[in-house]
Amino acid sequence: MSSRHRIRVTVNGRAYERDVQGRRLLVDFLRHDLGLYGTHVGCEQGVCGACTVLLDGQVVKSCLMLAPQADGRTLTTVEGLAGRGELHPVQEAFREAHGLQCGYCTPGFLLSAVALADRGVVLEGKSLRAELAGNLCRCTGYQNIVEAVERYLRQTVGSRRG
Amino acid sequence: MKPAPFEYVTAETTEAAVAALERFEGNARCLAGGQSLVPLLNMRLLRPAAVIDLNRLSGLDHVTVDDGRVRVGALVRYSTLETSALVAERIPLLARAVPFVGDRQIRNRGTLGGALCHADPAGEMALAAVTLGASLRAVGPDGVREVPADDFFQGPYTTALAPAEVLTEVAFLDGRGAVAAVAEHARRHGDFAIVAIAAAGLPGPGDSWRWVRIGLGGVAPRPLYAARASALLAGTRLEPKAVRAAAEACLADADPASDIRASAEYRRHLIPVFVERVLAELRERRRGGTR
Repeated sequence: MSSRHRIRVTVNGRAYERDVQGRRLLVDFLRHDLGLYGTHVGCEQGVCGACTVLLDGQVVKSCLMLAPQADGRTLTTVEGLAGRGELHPVQEAFREAHGLQCGYCTPGFLLSAVALADRGVVLEGKSLRAELAGNLCRCTGYQNIVEAVERYLRQTVGSRRG
Repeated sequence: MKPAPFEYVTAETTEAAVAALERFEGNARCLAGGQSLVPLLNMRLLRPAAVIDLNRLSGLDHVTVDDGRVRVGALVRYSTLETSALVAERIPLLARAVPFVGDRQIRNRGTLGGALCHADPAGEMALAAVTLGASLRAVGPDGVREVPADDFFQGPYTTALAPAEVLTEVAFLDGRGAVAAVAEHARRHGDFAIVAIAAAGLPGPGDSWRWVRIGLGGVAPRPLYAARASALLAGTRLEPKAVRAAAEACLADADPASDIRASAEYRRHLIPVFVERVLAELRERRRGGTR
């Protein structure tokens, strides 16, 4: 028997309260209980990173967390990036650098990039690729993805420092 | 796939976790970072009656020094180990081993205690614990006991923990001044190692080394401390002859298996190569002052 739990979470600044089964994966909670379909399900075993979200500001794979574990926590999904019809700077950078092809992996990459900027690190090349290793692009469009993230980090972190 | 049904239980204290484990009579699993457990649940390779979430336990996320030992709480996450100045200074081998684990997302969630209890024979945390002769604290219905790392790992995914015991803390000898290196061969970065060799050593007078400890991962059903090789290296300058003798001793201790990642023969080929590589890195780090 799966247990049931009442959980309260803040997602993209909005408070939600829901009943969930103990076995409910966080990614399925976001998609099916909250209707936030921007977080994608890929491998369901913590390899592909398509389900990457921010948990209290840190990137995590939401297929590797149970929904009740998020009780009382704050989450950011891709829906929380753009505001008032304007793209978030990371989305703008991906558009400029053509950092997406089919787009399936994109939400995960965007959140990984945002978390890097929040840590205040400007990385490029190999060290940036190491930080992005938890996100896979099966179109293999890594060159432009890395360029987009480099561009975003230079702009965002660079200007914060400047 | 999705996990089969189970009862999700939150434990607020170690005692509550032990009580919950007792209640489910060996049919419950503890959830720490979940980076190995949840994939096994999702694939339904595990179907426990209950999952006991330890993440709300307080007091298990410490890194402290006392009495010549560095104590690391079982719930300390990889990302904390990665950035802790205390870990870098006192347990340099652990700091060197962490970047080999998974990726950023995994390291934000995965815990030291979870990795040790999962006991993957190629796991870097288990390798570091065995190499450094760490002591693991287990709390169960009959109280607290300390288990040497060498006794803790009994085989692939098998530990000395009793069904109702919880790992709470890992104590490492204070490795202040030691130099450490990890060399591993994996098909992809962050993937499980085909062979992983860890070494730590304390510089002595001149170019000599007071002690060196070598550990072998992925070459036996559990991580091994290479006692003979380590003894051979104590007091040497890690000169080529000593390194070769140590590499041969490591090879003699290893009992690699063939699996989906590599053949036993290939692993035997890699062992001396990587022992020499890790010892060369130890010397270089000492020279370069990068520990």
